[in-house]
Amino acid sequence: MSRSVRRKLGVLTSVVILVGAAGCGGGGFDDEGSAGAATGEVRMLVNITPNLTKGYWEGLVKPFEDANPGADVKIEAPTGSGVKDSLPQLLAAGNAPDVVETLMADKVLAPQLLELTDQAWTKDTPLAQQAALDGKVYTVGVGQQAQSLVFYNKDAFTKAGISSPPKDLDELTAAMGKLKAAGYLPLQTAGDYVTGLQLLQLSDPSIATKHPDWYQQVGSKQLGVGQSMLPLLQRYESWIKSGYVDKNALGLDDVNAQTNFLTGKSAMYIMGSWFVRTAESQNPTFDLGVFAAPTEAGQPYPGPQGVTMAAPYMVLKSTKQRDLSVKLVQFLVTDQAAVQSQLAQDGNFRKGFTDKLTPLGKQVQDILDQAPKGVAQGEGYGANTLPSGFNGEWNKAVQSLYTGKSAKDVATRIDSWMGSKS
Amino acid sequence: MSAIRMPRVATVQFKPLRTKGAGRIAFLIVTSVLMLVPMYLLVVSAFKSQQDILAHPFSLSPDQLTTQYLEKAWTNPDFNILKGYAVTALFVVSVNVLSVALAGPVSYVIARRSERRYRMLLLLFVAGTFIPSQVLVIPVVYTLKFLGLMGTIPGFVLFETTLTLPFSIFLYAGYIMTIPASLDEAAAVDGAGKHRTFWSIVFPLMKPAVVTMVILNTFSVWNDFVNPQIILGPGSGLYTVTTGVYAAVSQYSTDYTVVFPTLLLAVAPLLVVFVLLQRHVISGLTAGATKG
Amino acid sequence: MRARLTTLSMVGPALVLFVVMLVVPVCLSVYLSLTDWNGYSANPVVVGLRNYLDLTKSEEAIRAGWVTLVIAAVGTVLLSVLGLGFALLVNGASRLNALFRVILFYPHVLSALVVGFLWSAVLGTSGVVNGWLTTRGAEVLPFLSNPHWALASLIGVLVWAGFGVNVVLYLAGLQTVSKDLLESARIDGASARQTFRNVTLPALAPVVTVNLVLSLVTLLKTYDLVVSLTGGGPAGSTQTAAYLILWDSFHNNALGFGSAQSVVLMIVTAGLALTVARLRSRADQGVKG
Repeated sequence: MSRSVRRKLGVLTSVVILVGAAGCGGGGFDDEGSAGAATGEVRMLVNITPNLTKGYWEGLVKPFEDANPGADVKIEAPTGSGVKDSLPQLLAAGNAPDVVETLMADKVLAPQLLELTDQAWTKDTPLAQQAALDGKVYTVGVGQQAQSLVFYNKDAFTKAGISSPPKDLDELTAAMGKLKAAGYLPLQTAGDYVTGLQLLQLSDPSIATKHPDWYQQVGSKQLGVGQSMLPLLQRYESWIKSGYVDKNALGLDDVNAQTNFLTGKSAMYIMGSWFVRTAESQNPTFDLGVFAAPTEAGQPYPGPQGVTMAAPYMVLKSTKQRDLSVKLVQFLVTDQAAVQSQLAQDGNFRKGFTDKLTPLGKQVQDILDQAPKGVAQGEGYGANTLPSGFNGEWNKAVQSLYTGKSAKDVATRIDSWMGSKS
Repeated sequence: MSAIRMPRVATVQFKPLRTKGAGRIAFLIVTSVLMLVPMYLLVVSAFKSQQDILAHPFSLSPDQLTTQYLEKAWTNPDFNILKGYAVTALFVVSVNVLSVALAGPVSYVIARRSERRYRMLLLLFVAGTFIPSQVLVIPVVYTLKFLGLMGTIPGFVLFETTLTLPFSIFLYAGYIMTIPASLDEAAAVDGAGKHRTFWSIVFPLMKPAVVTMVILNTFSVWNDFVNPQIILGPGSGLYTVTTGVYAAVSQYSTDYTVVFPTLLLAVAPLLVVFVLLQRHVISGLTAGATKG
Repeated sequence: MRARLTTLSMVGPALVLFVVMLVVPVCLSVYLSLTDWNGYSANPVVVGLRNYLDLTKSEEAIRAGWVTLVIAAVGTVLLSVLGLGFALLVNGASRLNALFRVILFYPHVLSALVVGFLWSAVLGTSGVVNGWLTTRGAEVLPFLSNPHWALASLIGVLVWAGFGVNVVLYLAGLQTVSKDLLESARIDGASARQTFRNVTLPALAPVVTVNLVLSLVTLLKTYDLVVSLTGGGPAGSTQTAAYLILWDSFHNNALGFGSAQSVVLMIVTAGLALTVARLRSRADQGVKG
């Protein structure tokens, strides 16, 4: 190698090291934002769903823009598969939005977030205290979502000779047998995120009854997630074997599943309260009912209800429009009309906002009222959390029940993932 | 490079296999039907309701057909498809121009100089083809951020251009070697500088290779998904055809009255251009590849 | 001196861009793979080779690696065989052949993302094919809901969308086959098979190499189609390396671990591509010698 080549390589190497080092270190990740002005642009990253279109979000913030002349709220839709992927990309790019909807603060995100503990209006927002991390409020929401709900086709139940909704899991399994005999697919499920979510929703009441401090026990390794879920996994495995769920369900996504259920092909659909809105918009031809997820035999019914924060909002610490962003979030979670709209749009619930409920919504409200307590679910929030990424791993693990793995394999897989995260 | 350097021979037509007959045609027709079925479904489904798509996927009876869904997709407030076309076309043109402007001269130097360091340079560039861009984009985020180009059009165009360099240089350098060096020596005698010699003498002669690369780069930039998704991100407000389609389709993936019209609009421009220019595209691809 | 400046002005811009946008990021990947960074927290902490150690223990990453290799190996063989086969079939200059060439090639014009959405509407559990089967009372086929079927569907769609390019490359190669040799083989009374083996194939050797290397490198990067066709499912069984890298890096906030996977993928890609190229060049010599 000639000397000039060596020299060039030397220069090249130093350029690489310099740019590399600057790229990682010098980016300035401890951006402390600034209060900002009373006017200007606030960027809000939101979740887009069939219920929550971009147009809906723009209409929602319109009154805020009108009340604050010069303020402009820019709604941003995620470009990735969701906010969960887009926010880290935007943070990495140094181009974080001012406000983000849909995610909740965890230990990883908290350092990037603005603390809202001192804002007096947060006190009365649903679940704000439960979602606080070490007493610090980062996330505030519009309402509550009930998670552990089983929507069911009353006509199918009547045809199958089931007089009242099952109260424990044995009764549920028995009901499935009768429904199948009556020609229905007993339980509707799907691939995508649905498989794992349904099983978590179903597990909340029985797990929380058996292990009231499940998150703490799991966190301190006294209990394995897989180990505590094993009975339910085994039950689910038997449902697949008996044809109580469709063995090809993984080729469906959530919309397929909803359509199948709402057109009367299947008899039950486990889903959170946001499904109320979808179900009612499609006017099913049968009588649609809902009951709280059953508990284990011998446990009181109804059990604790899985409850999550509806439309959670967080303000990024790096915002250059701190005051305006906080004001926007305050508007979104306290303004009567804004709250009412969001509750109705996505099937959410909040104390003091019960007068406009639909019949099905009223039933869900009753289930929420009758539940002895609300509990966190999956990755959870506040003091009750599992490592970030749990829901995705759990989903894949549960899906493997359809691909020939046993309940024990699933339990082992999820416990080994949990082990790798500590 | 020697790997694809081949003797120059006139185009020949020959019959290597005795399949000239009806059997060959029948087989090709069956294959063609298989190739076209998805496209047929895409086109007819864009004009049908959800029930008709599911119940009669292949039927083409006029009373089922409507342009209402296509109109809805065209005017989707969440994804302005016309703007998507414009943005993507802008990227395609910028990347192509920049790619030729950068890769041309360097390939010329590599092809005409025999020193070892230019061999090494070629190897360095060619090694770039082994780097998966979907993986590269993650650290590129930090490089662009350092340069202040993250989430901007120049940042995206520069990165996409870089991705085209390895293969362009490989192809151009190989092609230029087949152009007699005596041509540029004659130009040098006339007093033309290196730049002028390249652009006015050599460049016109390497048109087939440039056409090949332009075709390939146009497809890859127009169809790229991860890079615009991550580099442009939601913050820039810029959607290419693919990221726009993804945003519009993935949330409704089984509302087929949204999926099919949106997909049709997304593929239509490039497909139309391809069909109109098909002879030039396919012969262009082969022309650059046979020499080199 | 002036000549050197001129050379520099011709080489410089491309080289600088290449270094800044490709060499630096690759080095950055290597560095990040030695840290536990999540991508945006305060500065990264160097953890040495821990990510690589985790990689050897991660069932998911190992499986994604195998899935990627299966796709690359099976896909490369199919692309090359179908590419050459169809190139021989549509080689003539007739209008019909031109039409067939367009039909075989057109899927390449569609983005992989669109192709995936399209085929998932065709193959999904409630897609076109299964809808048709159900109305006839037949059993639903698990194209995308059984891990083996899903992987086969993925490879099938990759081949469907990609082999047109191989056809075009082989067509280009076929034009370089010496007419004289073909003619003399015919005069010598060689059978079509003998002509193909002894005249056509040796002349095509360099094109075969290009095809193999290009297909291999492209398939090892498979990402877009996974996103739109299977979403990595069912049960994560069709996650490719590129898919898992992006998933781990952003969705799971494990950029360091993702970078370690990137580094391994880059090394494997380069290694495999070079090995194939070398084996082929040895084979070429063998043919010539």
